[in-house]
Amino acid sequence: MGAIITLSILGIILLYFGLYNAKKALLPTALIGLLVAIGFYVSQWNTVPDPIFNGMVVFDHLAISFSILCIVITGLILLLSKEYFRTMSEHIAEYYTLILFSLVGALLVNCYHNFAMLFIGIEIMSVALYILVGIRKNDLASNEASMKYFLMGAFSTGFLLFGITLMYGASGTFDLVGLRNYVNGVSAVSPLFYGGILLMLCGLCFKIGAAPFHFWTPDVYDGAPILITSFMSTVVKIACFVGFLRLFSTVLVPLDGFWTPVLLTIVVITLFTGNITALMQSSFKRMMAYSSISHAGYMLFAIVAVSVSSGSSMLVYASAYSLASVIAFGALILVKRRTGSDNFESFNGLAKRDPWLALVLSIAMFSLAGIPLTAGFMGKFMMFNQAMGAFNVTLLVLAAINAAIGVYYYLHVVVNMYFKAPAAQEEKGLEISANYKVVLTIAALLTIVLGVYPDVILSFL
Amino acid sequence: MSVFYLVAFLSIFFALMTIFTKNPVHSVLYLVITFFTLSIHYILLNAQFLAVVNFIVYMGAIMVLFLFVLMLLNLNAETEPMKSNLVKIMGAVAGMCLIATLLGAFRVIEPSNIIVQGDADVGLVKNLGKVLFNEFLLPFEISSILLLTAMIGAVLLAKKEDRKA
Repeated sequence: MGAIITLSILGIILLYFGLYNAKKALLPTALIGLLVAIGFYVSQWNTVPDPIFNGMVVFDHLAISFSILCIVITGLILLLSKEYFRTMSEHIAEYYTLILFSLVGALLVNCYHNFAMLFIGIEIMSVALYILVGIRKNDLASNEASMKYFLMGAFSTGFLLFGITLMYGASGTFDLVGLRNYVNGVSAVSPLFYGGILLMLCGLCFKIGAAPFHFWTPDVYDGAPILITSFMSTVVKIACFVGFLRLFSTVLVPLDGFWTPVLLTIVVITLFTGNITALMQSSFKRMMAYSSISHAGYMLFAIVAVSVSSGSSMLVYASAYSLASVIAFGALILVKRRTGSDNFESFNGLAKRDPWLALVLSIAMFSLAGIPLTAGFMGKFMMFNQAMGAFNVTLLVLAAINAAIGVYYYLHVVVNMYFKAPAAQEEKGLEISANYKVVLTIAALLTIVLGVYPDVILSFL
Repeated sequence: MSVFYLVAFLSIFFALMTIFTKNPVHSVLYLVITFFTLSIHYILLNAQFLAVVNFIVYMGAIMVLFLFVLMLLNLNAETEPMKSNLVKIMGAVAGMCLIATLLGAFRVIEPSNIIVQGDADVGLVKNLGKVLFNEFLLPFEISSILLLTAMIGAVLLAKKEDRKA
C-alpha cells in the first residue's frame, strides 16, 4: 500500500513542480519516487499476504512481482521521455503526472481482491491514457486514436461492470474469496453467474486487445505518440493480464469446463489475426501493434491452461515482451527522428551507420520472435510448456505455426538493418543521447540474462 | 404492484419513443422522461439515494449536456452517417441474441432468493453511508485519484498551447 500512496503523492508533487517551472527536477524526482515504491514492495515480500482494508487489496507474491515489473518498465519509459515530450508541448509535468497515475491504476489492478478495486484500477489506468493518447492536439491521427480508445474503453468498461453486477447478483459478494466459496459451495451455480463470466471475459479481452475485440488496437497504437504506445502495450497490458489471471485462477477454476472452450477460441483467433495481419504491414509501428495482439494470444495460454505455475510463466513472458517492446519503440523514436517515417525502409542500412543501435534492436526482435538465448524464447517455452501440461496438443501446433510466421516479420527489420543499402543522402549516424543508450543497453542486457538464466525471475513465484 | 406495472410500462414506452422519434431533441427529451421513470423505480425499491443521484446527475446534468451538444452539432440529413440495411439487420440479430441470452438467464432466477432480496433497507442514505465509509473506504478514497486524473486531463486538453507545435 505504501507504494501506491507514494506514487499518488509523487504525481501531485510533480504537478507543483510544473506550477513553479522546475522542469529540470521532474525526471529525477519521478525516478526517486519509483525507486521508493519498489523499496516498499521489496520490503513487503516476506510478510504474510492477507487481504487488507476489509479484503480490498492483497499483496501476495503475484501482485508484488508484477507491480515491480510495471514500475521498472515505467521507469525505463520515463527515462526515454526526457526529450520526447519537450518537442510536443509545454505541459511536461502534467504528462509525468498522468503516466504516474496510470501506473497507480495498474498497481491497483495487480493487487485487487475485490471487484470494486478492479474497476477503479482499470478506470484510473484508462482515463489517464485517454488523455495521453490525445496529447498531440494538432495531429489528426492522435485525436482519432484518443477518441476511438475512449469510446471503446467506455464500451468495454460497460461490459465489465455488467459482468460484475451479474456475478454479484448470483453470489452476493464482490470479494474474490467470497466468490470462490460461492462457486465451491453451491450445488448448482446460478445461470446469472455464467452470464457474468462471459461479460467479464468480453470486457477483459477488450482491455488486453485480444481478437475479436482487437479492432481498436492498431489504430490507437499507431495514432498515439510512440512513447505512450510503449507504455500502453507494456504496463497497461501486463496489469490487465494480472487482473485476468487473478480472477480466473482464484475464482473460476472449478468452472473451467464452461469457459475454456470460449477462451480457447479467442486464443486461436487472436494468434492468427495478430500474426497474419502483422505480416502485411509496411509500417514498423503498426507491425508492433499487431504483434502485441499476437503476444496477447500467447500470454492467454497461461489462463487457458491455468495452474500453479501460470503466474511465473506469465511473469517471464511479460518481462521478455515488455523489455523487447521498450527497446523496439525506443529505437523507433530515434529512427523516426532522423528519417521522419516509421516504415521498414527507414531501418535500411542502420547497421553501418550505427552498429550499436542495430545490435540492440536485433536482440529485441530475436526476443520477440522467440529465438533461443533471449528472454522471449524462455517466455514462449514456458507458455508452450503450460499448454503441454494441459495436454492441449492442437493449441500447441497452432501456436508453433504462428511462432514461425512471427519469425518472418520480426527478422524483416533485422534483414533491412544489416543487408539493405541505406538511402544515399543519409550518411551521418544518429545523435543518441546518454539516456537512450543507458535504457536500451539495460533492457538488452536484461533480455539476454533472462534468456540464459531465467531462474533470476522464476525463483520469485 | 399496479404502480410498478404502470411505471414499467411507461419506462419501456418512453425508451422506445427515444429510439423511434426522428427529431434528436425530442429523442433526448424522451430519454429524460425515461430516466425519471427509472428514478420512480428506485424509490419503489426503497433505494432513495440511488433515486436522488439518478434524478440529479442523469436527468439533470447529463441530459443538459446532451441537449447542449445536440444544439452545437449541426444535425441534418447530409451529415447523417451511412446506415446500410445489412448493418441494421446485423445489429438487430446481435441485439436479439443478447436479449435472448439474458432473458434466458433471468427467467431461471428465483426471486425469493435471499441474495436477490437482500437487505431491504440498504438503499437508505444512512445505511449506504455506513457501508461506504467502513467496508468500501479504500475504493472511496482512491476514486479521488480518478477524479483528479480526469480533472487534469480536461484542463490539459482544453488549455491553449502557447507555442506552435
